[in-house]
Amino acid sequence: MKKENSQNGITLEAPFQDPPRYPRHVQVVMKGNYAAAEAARLCRAGFIPAYPITPQTTIVERLSEMVAEGKLDATYINMDSEHSVFAAAMGAAIGGERVFTATAGNGLFYAHEVLQAIAHFRLPMVMCNVGRPSIPWNIWSDQSDSLSQRDTGWIQLYGESSQEVLDTIIQAYVLTEKLQIPVMVVLDAFYQSHTSENVWLPDQNLVDRFLPPIQPGPMSIDLKQPKSFGGLMPPEHYNRLNYSYWKTVNQTEALSGKIAADFGAHFGRMYDNVEAVNIGSHTRLVLVTLSSITSTARGVIRDYPEIGLLKLRLFKPFPKEAVKKALAPLSKDAAIAIVERNFLGDNEGAIMQEMKRALYGSHYKMYDFFAGLGGKDVPPETIEKIIHRAFHQPEAVNWIDVG
Amino acid sequence: MLEIRGHARGGQGMVTAFEILAKIFSKLDNFQVQAFPAFGVERTGAPIQAFLRVAKKEILNRSNIYHPHLVVVFDESLLDQVPVFDGLEEGGAVLINTERPASSLAIPGKTAYTVPATRISLELGLGSKSLPIINAAMIGALARIFEVSLELVQEAIRANVPAKPEANMEAAARALRSVSGANGRNPFLIESLHAQPEKENRKVEDLSFDIPAEINGMEAPYWSAPLSNNKTGNWRLITPSYEERPAPCNSSCPAGTDVRGFVRLTSEQQFDKALELISRHNPFPSICGRVCPNFCEQNCNRNELDRGLNIGAIERFLGDRALDAKVEPAPVRHKERIAVIGSGPAGLTAGLRLCEKGYAVTVFEALPQAGGMMRAGIPRFRLPDEVLGQEIRRIEQRGVKIVLNKKVNVEELASSFDIVIAATGSHVGSPLRIDGEEFARDGLNFLREFKLDHDADGLHQGQEVAIIGGGNTAIDVARTVLRLGAMPTIYYRRTIKEMPAIAQEVKEALLEGVKIEFLVAPIALAPAGPAKVALTLTQMEMGEPDESGRRRPIPVSGSERTILADRVIKAIGQRSDLFALGQQPVEPQQGYIELESGTSVFCAGDMAWGGTVTEAIGSGNKVAEEVHAYLRGKPYHEQETLPEIVLPKDINYAYYLPMPRHYNKLHHPKSLTGDFTEVTRGMDEQEVIAETSRCLHCGECFNCGNCYNFCPDAAIHVDEEGRLRIDYDYCKGCGICVQECPCSAMQFQLTEAVS
Repeated sequence: MKKENSQNGITLEAPFQDPPRYPRHVQVVMKGNYAAAEAARLCRAGFIPAYPITPQTTIVERLSEMVAEGKLDATYINMDSEHSVFAAAMGAAIGGERVFTATAGNGLFYAHEVLQAIAHFRLPMVMCNVGRPSIPWNIWSDQSDSLSQRDTGWIQLYGESSQEVLDTIIQAYVLTEKLQIPVMVVLDAFYQSHTSENVWLPDQNLVDRFLPPIQPGPMSIDLKQPKSFGGLMPPEHYNRLNYSYWKTVNQTEALSGKIAADFGAHFGRMYDNVEAVNIGSHTRLVLVTLSSITSTARGVIRDYPEIGLLKLRLFKPFPKEAVKKALAPLSKDAAIAIVERNFLGDNEGAIMQEMKRALYGSHYKMYDFFAGLGGKDVPPETIEKIIHRAFHQPEAVNWIDVG
Repeated sequence: MLEIRGHARGGQGMVTAFEILAKIFSKLDNFQVQAFPAFGVERTGAPIQAFLRVAKKEILNRSNIYHPHLVVVFDESLLDQVPVFDGLEEGGAVLINTERPASSLAIPGKTAYTVPATRISLELGLGSKSLPIINAAMIGALARIFEVSLELVQEAIRANVPAKPEANMEAAARALRSVSGANGRNPFLIESLHAQPEKENRKVEDLSFDIPAEINGMEAPYWSAPLSNNKTGNWRLITPSYEERPAPCNSSCPAGTDVRGFVRLTSEQQFDKALELISRHNPFPSICGRVCPNFCEQNCNRNELDRGLNIGAIERFLGDRALDAKVEPAPVRHKERIAVIGSGPAGLTAGLRLCEKGYAVTVFEALPQAGGMMRAGIPRFRLPDEVLGQEIRRIEQRGVKIVLNKKVNVEELASSFDIVIAATGSHVGSPLRIDGEEFARDGLNFLREFKLDHDADGLHQGQEVAIIGGGNTAIDVARTVLRLGAMPTIYYRRTIKEMPAIAQEVKEALLEGVKIEFLVAPIALAPAGPAKVALTLTQMEMGEPDESGRRRPIPVSGSERTILADRVIKAIGQRSDLFALGQQPVEPQQGYIELESGTSVFCAGDMAWGGTVTEAIGSGNKVAEEVHAYLRGKPYHEQETLPEIVLPKDINYAYYLPMPRHYNKLHHPKSLTGDFTEVTRGMDEQEVIAETSRCLHCGECFNCGNCYNFCPDAAIHVDEEGRLRIDYDYCKGCGICVQECPCSAMQFQLTEAVS
């Protein structure tokens, strides 16, 4: 089903492959939000503070049902706001619980201050964000919310399918508990959150063997060794703590890749920090995508042997090494077209900013394409328009389907 | 470019001072200036820094000053805590706020200036005593050093200081004149002011980049022990401490009883210890628990919240538990013999105290029973005979000898006793001074004859008795008359508000059916028929306050009327029979009395001062101390009452919940005739303990833990003895503990407390 690309050693998925089957899994059809809730259950989340917001609501709804029905042994608290949700999450994480919560758009913006605190208090937890913008009022798919929080200190992973969201949450707990840095797993509003699709649900004991119970971390409360938290941090100490965080966060790319490989060996499904499709010396154009647009792009490029695809899964910290390695086979005149479902108030979108940072000093022609903001659909035609524009008089930054 | 670095404590005003200085320099010859602070943790008392750059050219450095030309120290104590002189330029200068002269500070190669800025600021009332604001004075001193004109300085202060500009300007002027060391001019400073800035071009010789220390594993933002550089105790300007203050109950008790103490012991159910504490000052707890007007309760700070504590009932409970307790006699250790005339509360208390100090004491009583006014003046329904008898028995068992039916005077005793104490009370009724006075009986006589001789003066059912007066005697007479079946009416010339009788007694009398007419005074008495008296009364109205502060009653002309009564009893006051003091006319007063015969006579009780049992006890305690000191040849000083009594303004009432006072139950039979049962009943153990829980603990820590909860630095802990104590290594002196103490058991001290 898979063939090895001899040129660069990158695994390519063949088009129209047979769906795989996984032992010790049950195959179900479920929405992305429910897949996220199932993942939290399988990871044995012990503390879930929640505040509902469209399009995240069904995640916390399903979790509350699980707790009420005794299917999940967790403390579930319906808080008064997202600010309180993350404050409670912070306290529970200090208390040593495995914490899960979910939010979206405005809720994430409201929690901004506490997001900073959780990351820099070095507390492990996993949060699902279902991407939507804020104002003008809009509830549809958009990544401006999570991408605007990229500097809060959270690790960010983006999933392409419900299966990937489920699998990524399991991996995220391993990652967060190793690094003591919180992880945000992002899925698209409606195109994932409310899309029912095939999901392989692993058996509980399979997950348990991959994800051991949470161990107390440096910030956990220990009754035998009292600590005080949240005191004023003098400049020298502040500096040192940031240095320590910097050293740790720099390990993310390597560790996340290793966890993904371990996951592949354990569960049979392999994800990496980035995925390169059809990128070689023959490739004239590479599309760079995040989340569900990736799938549509995969479909389109089957008809374009000269076009490749770079899917980003780890976004923060940005996987510079993996991106450079993935694009290394490209010839000098190849171009890169980036699809942005986000707008952060600057000339270029968030992905372009990061790509340029990663590829500083390289020769690639890079074009930015804003498409699908606020849930505007991105059908294959839109992808094709992007391809067409990229080949014919592209501008540095392009807006597709405006008006 | 001139660079000045200042060191001060938060709250002293240094940052403002540097800002004003910058403005002053900017006006001098158009200097470029830059003034800014470097705060640590911005709180009062924390060491802070401020920087000032002054240059002729644009200033191209926005970092802290590490090599100042001048160091200014606002708080002398910082010299030991902060390296204030670090980096001071060779030839530079220091200015320190201190009383010390500049010559006492020898800093090699540097010029020293001092100025007493704190004293100047305190004299002018700038800031508070605990935290004087000294910035204007420091500006004045700096003006002197830089030879800036006072006018320019004062103009800047007026323009920039909103509060007390005049006082601040004066502070600058006084400081300018008070700089020590200013005669030795420092040309270096003035030169620096005009010199080209060289610093930003200066080559740093040992420039090296900091290589981050190797961090193995994760560093997390928590503390498991205090950071040593955060020992915030050295920021403290004022020091809180636990310090007991006198409670109003204690200081208002004429006997000197530790009321707060015995209430606390009672609440802890340590009844024997509580009684022992009372007995140190008061040998009559059962009696005082019944008849004292409760000075303690009247002054209880709880009156501001709901009602004062029923302390009388608590004392009575404790006293009654031990009424029949056996007492061991006190051994006689001194040869001096002491006589006491009068066996009332003052005489017996003085006798007991001296007996306990080892003297042989004999008490002489004119009446056939001991107790003085307690025996002869207070009716049984207020004070049962057996209660009085038991408390006197204890005193006798202790060793005080009581001789009854023996009316003696000082001179008769002088030959056989070394000391005579006269405590004969005041048993003589005051005259009405109206026509027909002889037709009125004396109230005290009436009470005494009825109690000792059961002589009811022939009163019987249905007779009408007019009683003149408004004190306790009037009330006691009326209630006795009522129990004899007669109908008493009290005539009082003022209103109920001015009645000197104990309010509770008045209330009970009215409940029992005693009639009281207010604003009436007698003007004549005359016989009417074979057995009646005609009493002419006039209506009164309240006029201006007299010297006692009570409003003076004035007769209403034309309002006279005459009533008929079977008896008229006067009870308008009493005075002392001075027979005991012998033939010479002498004014009785507390303590030693000068007699021409040379006999060592002391005086105590109602004849000296007071008028209640409790005051007489206090008087007895005092005279005993004085006699003992006299006999042992030691000086005697009456103990001064402490001034800092805890008042309602010192109590944080928000920390107390209202709790209803427990009242004594009253004996109210359908008919009072012939019923001399005690009216006021005692409270049981449960009620007493519940009542003690109402105590506010004025001025005494009761481990409520408010200080512990509120201390922002967790500087309060519980010590090995279970007491709340302050860790002065971390106490910043913020004062929140003192502020939040519910009962004023914590105080500020301006001086440093020992940790």
